[in-house]
Amino acid sequence: MTDTHLTPSGSRRLLPIMAAALVLLGLVCFISLLIGAGNIGPADALAVLLGQGSDDARFVVGELRLPRTLVGVVVGATLAISGALLQAVTRNPLAEPGLLGVSAGSAFAVALALALGASAATLKVSVAQIGALLGCLCALGAARLRGVGDDPVRLVLAGAALSSLLIALTSLLLLIDLGTADEIRFWIVGSVAGRSLDHLSEIFPSVLLAGVITVLIARPLAALALGERVAVGLGHRPGLVRLLAVLSVALLVGGATAVAGPIAFVGLVVPFVARSLAGPDIRRTLWLCLPLGPLVVVIADILSRVLVQPSELPLGVLTAMIGAPVLVAVVRARRLPTL
Amino acid sequence: MLVTALRHPGRLIGLILGMVLSLSALADSRTLDTAYGQVKVEGQPKRVVALYEGAVDAAVAVGVKPVAALATRGTTGLARYMDEHAKGVAIVGTARELNLEAIVAQRPDLILASPQMPKAQYDLLSSVAPTVVPKTNVYEPDNWKSESRLFAQALGQAAKMDELIEAVENRAAQLAEKIKAEYSDEERTAYVVRWMPQGPMVMSSQLLTAGLLEMLGLQVNDDGLVKEGRPHSDPLSLENLGRIDSDWLFLATLNEEGQAALEAAKKSPAFARMKVVERNRVIPVDGQYWSSATGPIAAQKILDDVEAALLP
Repeated sequence: MTDTHLTPSGSRRLLPIMAAALVLLGLVCFISLLIGAGNIGPADALAVLLGQGSDDARFVVGELRLPRTLVGVVVGATLAISGALLQAVTRNPLAEPGLLGVSAGSAFAVALALALGASAATLKVSVAQIGALLGCLCALGAARLRGVGDDPVRLVLAGAALSSLLIALTSLLLLIDLGTADEIRFWIVGSVAGRSLDHLSEIFPSVLLAGVITVLIARPLAALALGERVAVGLGHRPGLVRLLAVLSVALLVGGATAVAGPIAFVGLVVPFVARSLAGPDIRRTLWLCLPLGPLVVVIADILSRVLVQPSELPLGVLTAMIGAPVLVAVVRARRLPTL
Repeated sequence: MLVTALRHPGRLIGLILGMVLSLSALADSRTLDTAYGQVKVEGQPKRVVALYEGAVDAAVAVGVKPVAALATRGTTGLARYMDEHAKGVAIVGTARELNLEAIVAQRPDLILASPQMPKAQYDLLSSVAPTVVPKTNVYEPDNWKSESRLFAQALGQAAKMDELIEAVENRAAQLAEKIKAEYSDEERTAYVVRWMPQGPMVMSSQLLTAGLLEMLGLQVNDDGLVKEGRPHSDPLSLENLGRIDSDWLFLATLNEEGQAALEAAKKSPAFARMKVVERNRVIPVDGQYWSSATGPIAAQKILDDVEAALLP
């Protein structure tokens, strides 16, 4: 007896989809090494990968394209997983990590740091991360929850209100301090250009912590989807699980924003698509988010390099341009994937 | 009548004085050729509002301190190189947004405006005081000369401005001789950029700065990267830094720490490996007068910077 007729109708085996996504991701990353906004074309880049190639080509592929591809992969994975977690915790398919006030918190922290004298080129990655965490804590505090588990709706509302407040404060700061507005305008549209592996290593501890937390709460989250009473009956503690999930989201989004700036849409669209492919089980969705998130981000990054040579488009613009039609297609093609 | 006049000498003197004075007042009225038609300016304007960086520069250069001006790009006050003249100058807005009420509150008797002032604003302001809008509105390297001359004419100091402009040209010619002697033909191409982490923004070769540098014998390029009518390009991709890697690189910053900006830029491996960086020919300069301000004082400061950098 195969276990295909034990699996619920409408969901498919995870492994083939995962494998296909990973292969596609590998291909896309390879293409990312071959294509760029400069003169090093695919042929030259291929030569580098095979061990030969001029100094210039080796520099471009090794120091510019490789780091940004890796950064893109990490940013895509963290944003997608954080989106999936938040949607599971708030039982809301429209939840986006930005709703917790984390992106707005990062942006405000960076604006404040620039206004106080830091420079965009040497800004420490931890500034944005601390901003994200503080934003999240404020949202939690504003919702006045004794244990987050009580009311996800209140959390979303508090987070949305806090985001709006922080965005308004950031705009105010930028209007008053025109020097900061000048420096921040390229950070705030999001980009992985010029990011090095050093930046990645700086966010590694917090992303690792978030990863560990996610692994620990994946199963309780799946139980939570069956309803609070069932979850409690199974021995889980919904309040704690939700709190940990929110903390994980803050760490993940804080890390991604610290490295690449605020990037919209990935945290909203990718979990949607993952869920429509994987079914309602949060664990399968999380697995599928791992390759799909980076796929979207790296494709967006490749496009950002080829569309307006010799300059580059900001990444945030392209993720929105890719994400919106994908979202529309998912919504139209099947029933909305339930949580 | 002559008998009456001789009998009352006081009245005669008064009459003669009155005629002489009114003649000179008539002589003091100037008609200016501006973008929006002929503008008549009478006498010596005392309360001058300068709504353009070039106007502030020109006014201060001929000895007239404006009562109000716009904040320079990136800060809330006048450009740093104008600091010593900045006391008591009210700030009435930014280049993007004028505070019309503040301007009116200053009770100006002359308004010196930017060549890009739109007609609607011009109409409003000219009902408050004679408003001078220079005719130049395309980026051209010599625009600053005609703009400064127009402003000086409005202030009644046309001759002085001619002297100042000639001084700049003469100094530039002298420096050009020395530079040509010092550096061969192939060593004199330059780019002016602002560095951002995502890549450099190349300044237009049509700005005041580029014009001056050309006068000095340096060949300033923007490599076709700057679109018509824009002051600078979009950030160039880091993969394309070879396009700005020439003999000299002037790195403009909007705040003062030029050296710190250079160090920060060097953290980017793409920047650090440019030949111009390795040969130490990157010159940090103050972006406020290298890419934002314009006028005879700014021109002299640019010449100072180039002299210090190329002829130490």
